Amino acid sequence: MAKVKVATVWLESCAGCHMSFLDVDEFIIDLSKLVEFRRSPITDIKGFDDVTVGIVEGSVGNEEEKEVIEELRHHCKILMALGDCACFGGVCAMRNTLAKEDVLKRAYINTPSTYKGKIPKAPGVPELLDKVYPANQIVKVDCYVPGCPPEPEAIKYGLTELLAGRIPVVPSNIMRFD
Amino acid sequence: MSEITLTINGKQCKGKQGDTVLEVCLANGIDVPTLCHYKGLADIAACRMCLVEVEKERKPVPACAYPARDGIVVTTNSEKIEKYRRLVLELLFTERNHLCAYCVASGDCELQSMAYKYQMDNARYQYAWPNQITDSSHPNLVIDHNRCILCGRCIRTCDEITGAHVLDFGKRGWKTNVCADINQPLGESSCISCGGCFQACPTGAIFSKISAYRGRPSECTSVESTCSICGVGCSINGLVKNNRLVRIDSPDMTKPRGLLCEIGRFEPLYDAADRITTPLKRNSKGQLVSCSYDEAIEAIAKKLGASGGVAGLASGKASTESLKAFAELMEKLGSKLVDTLDGDDCRTISQGIAKFDGKAGLDMEARLEDILTADSIVVIGAYPTKTHPVIGSYVMRAASKNKAQLIVIDPLRNPFSFRASVWLKPPEGKKETVINALGKSVVDHLSAKASADKGKYVKAFKDTDIKKAAKDLGVDMHDMVKAGEILAASKNSVIIYGSGVLQYKDAAMVATILNLAALVGDKPRIISLKRYGNSRGAWELGLAKSTVSVAADLAKGKAKGLYLLMADDLTNTQALADGMKGVEFSVVQASYRSPVTEKADVVLPSLLWTESKGSYTSIDGISKKTVPLVKANPAIKPDAETLKEVAKQLKK
Repeated sequence: MAKVKVATVWLESCAGCHMSFLDVDEFIIDLSKLVEFRRSPITDIKGFDDVTVGIVEGSVGNEEEKEVIEELRHHCKILMALGDCACFGGVCAMRNTLAKEDVLKRAYINTPSTYKGKIPKAPGVPELLDKVYPANQIVKVDCYVPGCPPEPEAIKYGLTELLAGRIPVVPSNIMRFD
Repeated sequence: MSEITLTINGKQCKGKQGDTVLEVCLANGIDVPTLCHYKGLADIAACRMCLVEVEKERKPVPACAYPARDGIVVTTNSEKIEKYRRLVLELLFTERNHLCAYCVASGDCELQSMAYKYQMDNARYQYAWPNQITDSSHPNLVIDHNRCILCGRCIRTCDEITGAHVLDFGKRGWKTNVCADINQPLGESSCISCGGCFQACPTGAIFSKISAYRGRPSECTSVESTCSICGVGCSINGLVKNNRLVRIDSPDMTKPRGLLCEIGRFEPLYDAADRITTPLKRNSKGQLVSCSYDEAIEAIAKKLGASGGVAGLASGKASTESLKAFAELMEKLGSKLVDTLDGDDCRTISQGIAKFDGKAGLDMEARLEDILTADSIVVIGAYPTKTHPVIGSYVMRAASKNKAQLIVIDPLRNPFSFRASVWLKPPEGKKETVINALGKSVVDHLSAKASADKGKYVKAFKDTDIKKAAKDLGVDMHDMVKAGEILAASKNSVIIYGSGVLQYKDAAMVATILNLAALVGDKPRIISLKRYGNSRGAWELGLAKSTVSVAADLAKGKAKGLYLLMADDLTNTQALADGMKGVEFSVVQASYRSPVTEKADVVLPSLLWTESKGSYTSIDGISKKTVPLVKANPAIKPDAETLKEVAKQLKK
């Protein structure tokens, strides 16, 4: 049987969800026999090819992230949101109660340690979106594994269910939002 | 009440007429998810989690607000209903900024556990991301409006349980928010800091600053005990993690003496005073240095046993067990100068009662719960919102829920003043005149039969010239008449008096108050506010039977030696220390360093009430027991043990 192709991306988040994924311990050996990672933050492959499962960690807060998630959606059959940022907005969404301009000013000009700061504006630096969005407000998402970070058990459950051909819904006892 | 039968999920369930569908479900063990429902509070159907289907109703109805009727058919667990509930949850999560990763309540949040239960792994709606403020202006509490689900539990607790009604919904529609007073910061509002809102809050919207990062309630062990700080004697649940108090909750806020106050809920958590952990005695240079129990007790036995005229003073903060051991020690010393720190209050009250009916029993005083059922309440020189906040809450509750008429006699404004039907403001020191005039006003309005029945008490006020009194006092005659009318018509009145009366040490004034109480209703209901948690316990042990104040005698140099049992009392220490100047040898048993311990020749450490087992007698004579919430420093012996040891060594 051919290996299932998987692509994971790391958008606006701390990478904790990918770390938690590594915490699934020996399951990773079984998993490696079943799946093939076509793209991930660890492999540093830039482009996409068509995969069965796309996994997104992080929320969508700038133009580049929006592009990446749209492209991933285009190339995958099933998209899984991994972690609170992708599912709900998470810590990154803290800025959502403020205007984008205020956020930039706070970050680049008003910090106490900044001298003559200015807001970076150059080609190649992606523009911030007006708000930080959870994945499902940008593209269609098929399943979710929330948590900050998600429990390794929950990640394992999600992947096992997907490999068995079912859409996972994390059971209450291993679901966490923190 | 007649019994009704309804069908819930195909099962025949019995309930009472007047029950809601939710009440019938809970009584029959049928689980219905709720967020805004809180046991003992009125239901307002704010959260819509308890939606159920009722046959012949067009749409799902909230079970908490839907009256159960005989024969209706209810479904609580259909797929459709569960879908609606998940929808409600998603709406709640998208309405405000509910981000568990940085919420203090995560792990103990009812909203969060509800989302887990419904496996809510995403929200299908646009997030509102409102820019809500976090109000941390209050010394103990924080309101984080980002986490609020507008369930109104805090508001109903503030109104129905605490009686303060500081919190309410402000603004309308989309902008609705929990507001203090007229949308003031909580710290600047009339909040009485009882913390009831914090206990009732299902999310992290209201939390306690000190408890926030000490640990989650789910990680704590819970110890049931009694608060012994004031004489109300509220039941408490101490939540402890790593032998440290995380928070103090009420086991059931809706029960009498379950509501707690600022003092009971927060004071034991802020233990910043300088603790005494070993016995101390003076060295050759006159400095206080640590020593062993044996050395300290030896010094006491040598000096105190030898000096004639030993005085004994005890604080009403000590437990009955400690006070008993103290009394025994004083007996062994043959001391005639034994008193409590609030002995004057005891003498004033008991002499007042003796003047009134010839007996000197505190038993004639009313139960605190009588306030809740009273139809009129007179507050004379008492400040329960400060000294005994739970009594203050009882008064405010009676005034708002039972429409009890409140009459305040005090020259100073206090939180009751603006709630009062009548506020009589006599000049300082003229309380007795105004009480006499009020008595006369009541007599004037009593029915002929009542006057005849209460002849003895009527006589006491007969000769008062009410008009002259009102003029002298500068009190409006209308107020005087109105107060008289209210009390004459009252069937069930409670009179509360406290430090504002007792400070004059005037038993006649107390007797006048009792006479006034006897005029009103079927029997006199009177409550005197005693200063310490175990004042009454100490008085009942006869520790205050001295005829004069021993503390005052000390200052006059009437005693050579002194044994002062302070326990964890820190009140009036400077005045006491000044009084100790004339004493040659003094022993102080206390938990904290204070001016008194600095004056002492030997200091013995004392446990806190949160660390020890003991009995305390409430203001109205109910004996309650404390259980150690945290383990004490093993180097400190319990008070009673220390006192017994001292007594034993004296013998030799």
